[in-house]
Formats: sequence, C-alpha cells, structure tokens
Amino acid sequence: MIRLTQIVKTFPGVTALDDVSFDAVAGEVHALVGENGAGKSTLIKTIAGAYRPDSGTIDYDGETRVWASPREAKDAGIHVIYQELNLFPDLSVAENIYIGRPKRGRFGLIDHAAMARGAREILLRLGHDLDPSAHVKDLSVADQQMVEIAKAMVGEIKLLVLDEPTAVISGREADLLFERVARLRSAGVCIVYISHRLEEIFRIADRVTVLKDGRYVGTRPAGELDRERLVAMMVGRELSDIYPGKILPPREAAPVLSVRNLRMPPRVREVSFDLHAGEILGLAGLVGAGRSETAHALFGSVPKESGVVTLAGETFNRLSPRVAIAKGMGFLTEDRKGEGLMLLLDAAANISAPALRGFTRGPLLDRKAEIRAAEDEIERLRIAVPGPLTGVDKLSGGNQQKILFARWSRACHRVLILDEPTRGVDVGAKVEIYALIRGLADEGVGVLLISSELPEIVGLCTRVLVMREGVVTGEVSGDDIDETVIMRLATLDTGAAA
Amino acid sequence: MIPVSRNRLSRLWRIVDPPKLIVASLVICVLLIGIAVSARFGTFSNFMNVLEQLAALGFVSLGQTLVVLVGGIDLSIGAVVTASSVLLAGTVENNPALMVPMLFAVLVAGAAFGALNGIITIRTGVHPLVVTLGTATVLNGLVLLYTLLPTGGVPFWFEEFAYGRVLGIPIAGIVMLLCFAATGIMLRFTGLGRALYAVGGNPEAARLSGLASGRVTVFAYAACGFFAALAGAYYVSRTGTGDPRVGDPMTLASITPVVVGGTILGGGRGGVLGTLLGVILISLLNNVLNYMSVSTFLQWVIQGTIIILAVSIFVSRKRPA
Repeated sequence: MIRLTQIVKTFPGVTALDDVSFDAVAGEVHALVGENGAGKSTLIKTIAGAYRPDSGTIDYDGETRVWASPREAKDAGIHVIYQELNLFPDLSVAENIYIGRPKRGRFGLIDHAAMARGAREILLRLGHDLDPSAHVKDLSVADQQMVEIAKAMVGEIKLLVLDEPTAVISGREADLLFERVARLRSAGVCIVYISHRLEEIFRIADRVTVLKDGRYVGTRPAGELDRERLVAMMVGRELSDIYPGKILPPREAAPVLSVRNLRMPPRVREVSFDLHAGEILGLAGLVGAGRSETAHALFGSVPKESGVVTLAGETFNRLSPRVAIAKGMGFLTEDRKGEGLMLLLDAAANISAPALRGFTRGPLLDRKAEIRAAEDEIERLRIAVPGPLTGVDKLSGGNQQKILFARWSRACHRVLILDEPTRGVDVGAKVEIYALIRGLADEGVGVLLISSELPEIVGLCTRVLVMREGVVTGEVSGDDIDETVIMRLATLDTGAAA
Repeated sequence: MIPVSRNRLSRLWRIVDPPKLIVASLVICVLLIGIAVSARFGTFSNFMNVLEQLAALGFVSLGQTLVVLVGGIDLSIGAVVTASSVLLAGTVENNPALMVPMLFAVLVAGAAFGALNGIITIRTGVHPLVVTLGTATVLNGLVLLYTLLPTGGVPFWFEEFAYGRVLGIPIAGIVMLLCFAATGIMLRFTGLGRALYAVGGNPEAARLSGLASGRVTVFAYAACGFFAALAGAYYVSRTGTGDPRVGDPMTLASITPVVVGGTILGGGRGGVLGTLLGVILISLLNNVLNYMSVSTFLQWVIQGTIIILAVSIFVSRKRPA
C-alpha cells in the first residue's frame, strides 16, 4: 500500500529521519514504535504530506508520489488521527463527520437529515452505535475517537494512522477500539499504529517497525517478538530490569500522611488510608474511578466535602495547595501542560515555582541562586535542555516531566503525589523516572503513585490501594501485588463490596 | 553546565526581543521623518513637551500592561481616570488645604476600585472584559449623575505636576518614568513579579505550585486602578478642573502601547519596557503628524495602520515554521 524508501528529513540542527525505509500493506496493522524523538511523528507527517522529505521516495498505491500538501494525501485516502482530537465540541456528531464536505440539498443548503443518515451508516460500518445528533462535547474520549475515524471514512480510506490512541482512554474502551481497528483491517484498510504501550502492540499488530534516534532499526512480524526483545530493539541495550528494586520502608509508628473518610462527591465517596515515610503506595483503578480527584482533594486544589487529612502530625480540615506545599507535600498532576508547566517561562522558573520563597531575599528574587539550583537539577536528572533559561515549551515530553520532577523533589520533603508520571514518556525516560521515584522514597518521602499502567504499579509499589467508583475497594501488599488481583478489585461491584 | 556568556546573551535577548526591536526601529523612523519635515521637531524643548504630554498615556498603559500580563484586561481605566479627576477637583475646590490628603485618597480609591475588579473577576469567573465593562458603566453613570460639565478646581501650585520642570525636564514625565522603572524592577527582580508572569502564563499551574494566584491577580488590577487615578490627577493638574468625559478615550488608548510593545493578550509574556516604547512611538508619531499639519482624524488612520503592521510583523515572525 505504502512504501517509503531511504527517507531523509532534516530540520535546522537535527536530522529527524536518517535513511529510514518503511512499508505497510493493505489489511495489516503495522505498529510503529520507538522512544520519544525516535522520529515516529516526523515519519507519519511525511506519510501524511505535512513534511516533504529532503531525499527518498514515497510509493503509494503503486505509484511514486510527492505530496504537495496534506490535503492531497488526504484526498488519496491517507488519514491521520492524532492524540489531540480535531473536533468541534459544540457541533453534532454528524456535523463533525461531514465537516470537510457537508452534504448539500436543494439551493446548496446543508441537508442535515442526509448527513445524519450518512453518519449513522458510517458508524454502523464501524460497528459503533452513536446518536448522530449528539454534541461531540458530551461524548467520552473513546467515542470522540470513533467520530474521528468515521470522519476519515467519509471519503476514500486506504491508510489510517493512529497516533497513540489509547493514551487518553481506559482499558475497556481500548478493547473496543481494538475491535473497531480489526474491523477496518478486515475491510482492507492499512493501519499504522503508534503506541508506547507494548502490551497492546502484541495484541493488535501484525508487524512492528522500530525506529531509534531517527534511524531504522528493523521490522519484524509481531509473532516473532516478545517484550524483552522489543524493548531491547527500542532502547538499543538490554533492559533486563526496568524497575529498581523494591525496598520496604522501616515501619514508623506514625504515618506521614493519613486520610480519613475523604469525600468529594460525585467522584470521591469514601477514601481512607495511611502513607508512611519512604513508602511507595500505589493507587490503582480504572479511569474515572476517582483517583485523580482524590489527589486533588488531598492536596486541597479542589475543595472536599468532608474528611480529615493529617500531614506530619498536624490535622487539617481545610487544605490549600499553599499550605500543603508549606507542609512538605507536592503534587505532580496528570495534565502536564494544563496544570503543571508554565510554558511561557524558562526551565529555572518552572523548577523553582513552589519553592520560590527559598529564592527570595525580602521582596527581591535571587535569580542567580535560582539559576544555579536549576543547573544542579538539570545535571542531576540529566534533563536534555540547552540551559536553565530555555523555555520549557521547547522540550520533549520526557524532559518536561523531568522538569516537574525537579520542581517537586526540591519543594517537598514529606509526601509526593504522582498522577500518571510516565504518561506520554518514552521507555528510556520511564526507566529514569522510576529510578527518581525510588530515590525520593529512599530519602524518606512518602510517595502516592497513581497510574493506569499496571506493570508500573506492580513493579514499583510495596502496597497498592485499588479504587472503584470513588471508593477504595481493596488493598494488596508485598507478594500479593499482581495485575490480575488489582484488576479484579478495580472492576468489583461496589454493592457487593459494601 | 552552560557557559556564563551564553546566559548573558540570552538574558540580553530577553530584554531586546523582536517586538521591542520593531517598535524601537519604528521610533527611529518617526524621529528621522520628524527631523526631515520640521526644524523645530528635533529640539530639546519639543521632546520635553512630548514627554510632558505623554504622561497620561504612560500611566494608563503601564497599568494595563500589568493586567494584561496576568491574563486579564481592564476596560474601566477611562472611567477611573474620569472619576478620580472629578472627585479630586470637586472636593478640593473649596478646601485647598485638602489637596494633599485628597490626592492620596483618590489614588487609594483608584487602587481599591481596581482591586474590586480583580476580586469580582476571580470570585465569579466572569471574563474580565465583561466585569470591567460593567464596573466602568456603573462608575461613568455615577460621575454623570454628579456632574455633566467640567467642575471643581485645584490650587495653582498643583498645576506644577503637569507643567513644572526640573532642570528643564517635565515633572509629570519624571514621575511617569519612575513609575515605569519601579514596575519594571518589580516584574524582573521580585517574587511578586515572577508570580505575575506565572499566573498570566498558566493560572492553574501557578495555583498548584502554591503561588497566591488570586492575590497576584487582585494586585495587578489594583495597580492598574492606581495608575488610572494618577492619570486622572494629572489631567486635573493640566486643565485645572475635573472633566466628566476626560477619561473616555483612555481605555482603548491604554491597550495600544501594550500590544504594540509585545505584551501578549492572554498574559504571561511581555513587560513594561515594550509598553514604554509603544507610548513613545504613538506620542512622537502624533507630534510629527501635528508638525505636518495632518488632521486628527487622518492621524487616527495612520496610527491604526501602524499598530496592525507592527503587531503583525511580530506575530508572523513568532509563528513556528
């Protein structure tokens, strides 16, 4: 279906693709994997006509093509669905599906009834039953992805690129997505699938192509690979152990953080637990179980309805981020750009933010000390950034995350809440982040780790709480921690548990 | 580790960034044109006259810069200018002894009014455009209920604020430049200044980092109200009365130097140096056009065109390739 031969693409200062070849055939799911910065995005943008390669050829559907614009590639049947969906939230499903080419009736007016019929028909071909008149903003992210796919199916669809579609949806929704993808595959569509989650690659991919540092590493049938071998191809070294060893913290009498009967309806209904110094406590559950909301209620960033939080021996009925930080608690949220980074500011200012008082003398800011501290952190965490004065908007996801780690490891010495700390981060950076988490715990920080990636919870935590529908449904510790047990608790009926 | 020289360079680059370079080169163009068209333009006394007259625009744009930096906008500036001029002239006319206390009272009232704008904005979550439009309408209505015509008066000595000179330099201009310098130092070298940028860039991230984003926002609006009241006092000093319409053009006028100077609407990036350059550009431009006997209305046409040109050059440069 598509064959790229010896593609080279350079940007000022970087070679994004260096002699990369890639081919995918009709009716296959071809996974494209590699760490951040490996060149996956550049490659799909080249396929989709958003970039023009410096050299190399693209053969598509039997002829050599040079895309003049993304429009041309789209007209030829190539569709890319990016992680950030490209939908109009206040328009209906049908209007979104036909956004590029609305159906017109008499007098050239838009024929809403015909669009609704067409939309329903396309969705049924996908096997997805959605009300075409529903507003897109009222749909779940998973349904919105289906609308995107349906949009691609309005014209001709031969090649569909999915860029990390499961990063934003829950496990059950992902199952549904895989089923839809399989349907498209049997209809003869060629699917290029990008993901950081290796498990799902083994589930749905027929072949896997690995890129590293802009170079082609190899293409293998998925059946010939296993996790270890794939990781080795991606990282270029054997990663026999992704996770640092677990260390049980010394049991002290008093927990550093204790939470009793925390309520913040509708998402948080009953949460109580203790967190000890030096412990990595997992908080598992499906998306929507109330884990992030629990973290916000704990940190005081969203007012809770009731419940008592005891932090370092002091009991608070009301917390605010300011007070929480002053008491040594930090919160690395799941929304890196929306709630974490200040994208217009430089690295130094981002690192110092919660500890800004440590860098002031009277009202004056000690910029030199701030920059020195940032330089130390950049070196300690091996952050790939030209310097402390570089804007954080220019960094890769992994390095942005490390900036936030630098921020919080400086600002908090008692409790750190981590919400999806490795989301959208490549394998190499993940391993480094795991080591950082371990290091913080070794220094005596109590870590509350929220993650949807169960291997991460299992690999790092010595104790795991499982939430479902706003309630902690169970706790597992030590050798009992395993994915099946956690999944069972996460999907348990709350009625039966109560 | 990054060599110090690169730090220095990049610091310099932050001060001399593209929008400021564009405005600065426009200022130089205007200067050259002015010198070419009139012998009197390039004189010390003409420049000092310009400096004297631009003080009001300087005060209000300085305040607007702070509000825009935290991601807001203040449409009540004109109303505050008017109200403070009427209040000051009206109360002092028959009690000249109250001049100094009333001046302070008016400045404090301006700051309090600004703070109210900020508090309503953060408490209700209503867009500041709407909030300040509302408060401005209320305040304008109150002033016009009180008087429809210019009213009141101030002691002669207070006119020194607008017309006085120290070593030939206008006092109003000196006060304005000191205000710019103090605000610039506050933005660059204090924790409060950092917090203003952080809150403007990403209020949620700032809040979760424990910065007092509410207080910082209220501070910006309060400072804006303070500077608007100062502009009102300047007008009283200049005209000797409180005019219930004096502030009307100031609201929109205050936004122009801010955006021309490179502070982005939406907040988080920019500063007072760009705004000062913007104020100078607009004032010199009007001055040159006056020398060329261009009508006021044509001046508007030219001014509007230059604003759009200047900002669009900057924006198209900024857009990533």
